Amino acid sequence: MARFLLYRIFQAFFVIIAVTLIVSFAIRLTGDPALMLSQGAGSVTEEDLANIREALGLNQPFLAQYMDFLKGLLVGDLGKSFMGGISVTELVARALPATLALAFTSLIVSIVISIPLGIKAATSRGRWPDQVIRILSLVGLSFPNFWLAIMLVLLFSITMSWLPPSGMEGFESFIMPAATMGIILTATNVRLVRTTMLETLNAQFVMVARAKGLSENVVLYKHALRNCSIPLITYFGLQFGGLLGGIVVIERVFNWPGLGTLAFDAVAARDYPVLQGVITVLSLLIISINLIVDIAYGLVDPRMRKG
Amino acid sequence: MTTQSLSGNNQFQKFKNLEFILGALLLGSISLAVLFSSWLFPDGGTQINLAMRLTAPMTELAYPLGTDPLGRDILARVIIGSEISLKVGIYSSLGAVAVGIIMGLISGYYGGFIDALVMRFADVQLALPFILLAITFIAVIGGGLTNMIILLVISQWVQYARLVRGSVLALKDREFILSAKAIGVKDIRILFQHLLPNLIGPVIVLVTLNVANNILLESSLTFLGLGVDPTIPSWGGMLAEGRTYLQTAWWVSVFPGLAILLTVLGLNLLGDWLRDTLDPTGKTSV
Amino acid sequence: MRKTRVFTHSLLASALMLGSVTAYASTLTVSSPQDPGSWDPIDTFLVNWSSVATNIFDGLTYRGPDLKLVPGLATAWEELDKGSRIRFTLREGVTFHNGEPFNAQAVKFTFDRLLGEEGARGPQASNYSAISEVNVIDDYTVDFRLAQPDPVLLTKLAGYGAMIVPPQYITEHGDEHFNRNPIGTGPFKLADYTPRESVRLDAYEDHWAGAPKLSQVNYRFISEPATAVAELQAGRVDIVIPPTIPIGMIDTIKNNPSLSIVSVASPTVEALRFNTKSGITADERVRKAIIMAVDRDAIIDSILAGEAQSIASFQGALSFGYDPELKPLPYDPQQAKSLLKEAGIKPGTQLQIDVRGNDSTFGEVAQVIASYLQMVGLNVSIRPYETNVLLNDIIPAGRTGDMFQQKWGGWTFDYDNTAYLMYHTGERWNPYDSDPKLDKMLEEQRSLTDQAKREQLLQFIARYTQDRVLEIPLYNVNALYGVNNRVQNFQAAPDNRLRLNEVYIAE
Repeated sequence: MARFLLYRIFQAFFVIIAVTLIVSFAIRLTGDPALMLSQGAGSVTEEDLANIREALGLNQPFLAQYMDFLKGLLVGDLGKSFMGGISVTELVARALPATLALAFTSLIVSIVISIPLGIKAATSRGRWPDQVIRILSLVGLSFPNFWLAIMLVLLFSITMSWLPPSGMEGFESFIMPAATMGIILTATNVRLVRTTMLETLNAQFVMVARAKGLSENVVLYKHALRNCSIPLITYFGLQFGGLLGGIVVIERVFNWPGLGTLAFDAVAARDYPVLQGVITVLSLLIISINLIVDIAYGLVDPRMRKG
Repeated sequence: MTTQSLSGNNQFQKFKNLEFILGALLLGSISLAVLFSSWLFPDGGTQINLAMRLTAPMTELAYPLGTDPLGRDILARVIIGSEISLKVGIYSSLGAVAVGIIMGLISGYYGGFIDALVMRFADVQLALPFILLAITFIAVIGGGLTNMIILLVISQWVQYARLVRGSVLALKDREFILSAKAIGVKDIRILFQHLLPNLIGPVIVLVTLNVANNILLESSLTFLGLGVDPTIPSWGGMLAEGRTYLQTAWWVSVFPGLAILLTVLGLNLLGDWLRDTLDPTGKTSV
Repeated sequence: MRKTRVFTHSLLASALMLGSVTAYASTLTVSSPQDPGSWDPIDTFLVNWSSVATNIFDGLTYRGPDLKLVPGLATAWEELDKGSRIRFTLREGVTFHNGEPFNAQAVKFTFDRLLGEEGARGPQASNYSAISEVNVIDDYTVDFRLAQPDPVLLTKLAGYGAMIVPPQYITEHGDEHFNRNPIGTGPFKLADYTPRESVRLDAYEDHWAGAPKLSQVNYRFISEPATAVAELQAGRVDIVIPPTIPIGMIDTIKNNPSLSIVSVASPTVEALRFNTKSGITADERVRKAIIMAVDRDAIIDSILAGEAQSIASFQGALSFGYDPELKPLPYDPQQAKSLLKEAGIKPGTQLQIDVRGNDSTFGEVAQVIASYLQMVGLNVSIRPYETNVLLNDIIPAGRTGDMFQQKWGGWTFDYDNTAYLMYHTGERWNPYDSDPKLDKMLEEQRSLTDQAKREQLLQFIARYTQDRVLEIPLYNVNALYGVNNRVQNFQAAPDNRLRLNEVYIAE
């Protein structure tokens, strides 16, 4: 078991190195930030550019820059933004909770919708509620999410003046972005709940509970659901990682002060340290979630340990 | 209700058929549109008519769905645009499935170092947030149709590789493979003639859903200004163009939006149906 | 009215939720597309820096929305020693936001810093390289010694790197602290700054020109145009500053009874420049034909909703060097066709136009241009690039298509800033052309101190570039502000340097 754990952690380490290396390298191919910073500054001489590059540490060879980044990473220092020298750790520390909060709320929204729908679909398998639920959830999955987001803003912020169109200020501002993200997850989750429930409903203990004369709702929501909770939570956990990556477009539409907005602006400004920082932190999160799920599975099911 | 099999129920069959019928209907009409588009609209929906810009739907006979800010026929553009979306969706999924199957087969069959290497590549791929990768990638190599397809292939072969590898691991110790090996059948034949047919079901399901997903991703990227040439009618591009006119000329972005929605829905319905037909064990369920 | 009440309620609600300050009627909220990250004047050349910082800092000179140069922190100036020295008389009794006095030392400190080590790390220093030294004559008199003449120096002293900074404060707290906690002499002082989200300014009651009428200005950074406009419509933002509002949303704002569009000619001009070195556009006749094939006025009227002016050279009417007599080449597809024929161009010849991918308005313009060119027999493909790739790799390296988009504009409104950088041999923005005669004129005008002569030469240069057909001059766009009608006394600034001390809010 210890060997399996070590192996897994070693793998995660390898992935982190590879991810940061790829990202640091790729962004340096996208253009010179010294040129960006001096754009419109009139006649820029090569000397001016060299000065700016030196101030940004870009005159170092790539590997040296990368090693500096890794060293900083070990002590939680992600460097300084090229745009005004703000600490990237600080920027990320402010944006991460916003993104996590949105991802979490989206997941909750989706779970809250999918559990009753999934159960209903399972119990009415093949009959019309099942059909309607599945087709509707597929409709949700088929929306281009940014388009849905814009439509929601138009309806709820501009026509009805109910909800703020952008920003993160209080409960109200979570509703639209979380709903947009949540709807997309719902199709998958309804299916998941439905399948898991179908398996459980045939199990012995459900029959017993029914035989005892417990009400159908108690049987479904208390006994059966509890029994499905482990696989469901695992899936939801894995989804959370995926959500973090997919949230960029939605954050942009809603001007959400999260990692996506931060990264998007960083690419536009060639702000290497910020983009590097954001992707590294996001990847670390995704890797840790996967690692935890893997290890948990490994503990439960020895066959998985082969990797 | 007590049947264990997922497809043993009459009503269930009926439902599955409904899903199939809806999906086939949607995709069928879109395929027809693609087939006849160049015959219906020989100018390719690129004819600019500034005098007729932003004409509302159902007001001019020539423009049943209205015109866009440049006075182009929205009906023509929506129909012609299906071609780009389907091209991107299908080519990128086929590319990804080809790479994924080869990597998955090799990785699962041979195991060892190759396997570890491929799987770590896969991990790296999965840990990189797609849109951010896309933005960076396109900043480096530029936008356009081909680059977008390459990008989608790079970011999506992994799921196929994982799926195929998993199936190969489950199959390779089975009797028929072992006996094929014993009588000296070449590896390449074992891989493609014996293993592949046995795991193709879930792959087909995944491809269908993947095409749907890639159409959405294409529209997202084009929406973010990173996609195809704006002169080529594409749904994502039309959505992006229409966005600023949403409150004064809703038709500019609503019709392409609906087109994406219906196409993707058609693919998702078919994919869902295929999944229950070809992959009842649910390997592709997440 | 009802809308306003809803707005106040929701603001109150959100303010309570955050536990922050309740919104007063005299708080103005502005949407700005980008956070410059540092408020230090030597660090930036972003117009979005200046739209905020114009309220925090003052320069020796001041240039308002009317573009006239008037006294700022200097009350008077005179040129000495045939223009190689400028003497400034400084305003007395001015204090920085922290109480530090403004005097000759502060001016010297500011420019020593700008032209010294700190300045070299930013993009601003090179704009002020004409200044060789600043000498303190007495507490309220300074002399600027010039290394070379700079005809636009006095204008440059009104903005960006020349903003006067407090010596004691910076010495005491260091540059890094100053980046985020700037102190100036301007009408507003920085109260709260959340990087990438918002910056709040409070009125500086002791400002030398009198206390501003607003008590607070809140800037929110919103990069997505449609989102900024939605916020304006929801009444949560009072002013959306350029370059945010897309042409397509003008009607959306105009249709709303409580909002207005305020537009003013900006320094920004758009052109499609030619590859004059190779391909079919190396032929002057082809270039001329391409211009004549495109109906630029129709583009302005339809695609740009009239919010632009046609131009004959690569500058707008406000630019120093603009010649009202110089007319654009006419729209004449027939002559275009015969010119193409003369040049031996076959119908169906391919042509590539490179554009910025995220510029949706120009995307439409480019498509219309493509269709005009189609009509004279040229097959155009449009290639969108990510803006920075186009600007940093494709253009300077000379890897563009036959034509490429160039969007340009300097806040100094001087044609030198365009012409020299676009046409002088070896400049970054001039990857293809080399014309010794043009080079000579461009160099010559820089050393002229007689402004009338210089203007004449610049006008001649403009005419010369038209004769050589170096680009398709398309149009000079307006700066578009979306403004809530409760904002009073608002004057749109052409250069985005929006000073808000006279603005107030109607009850």
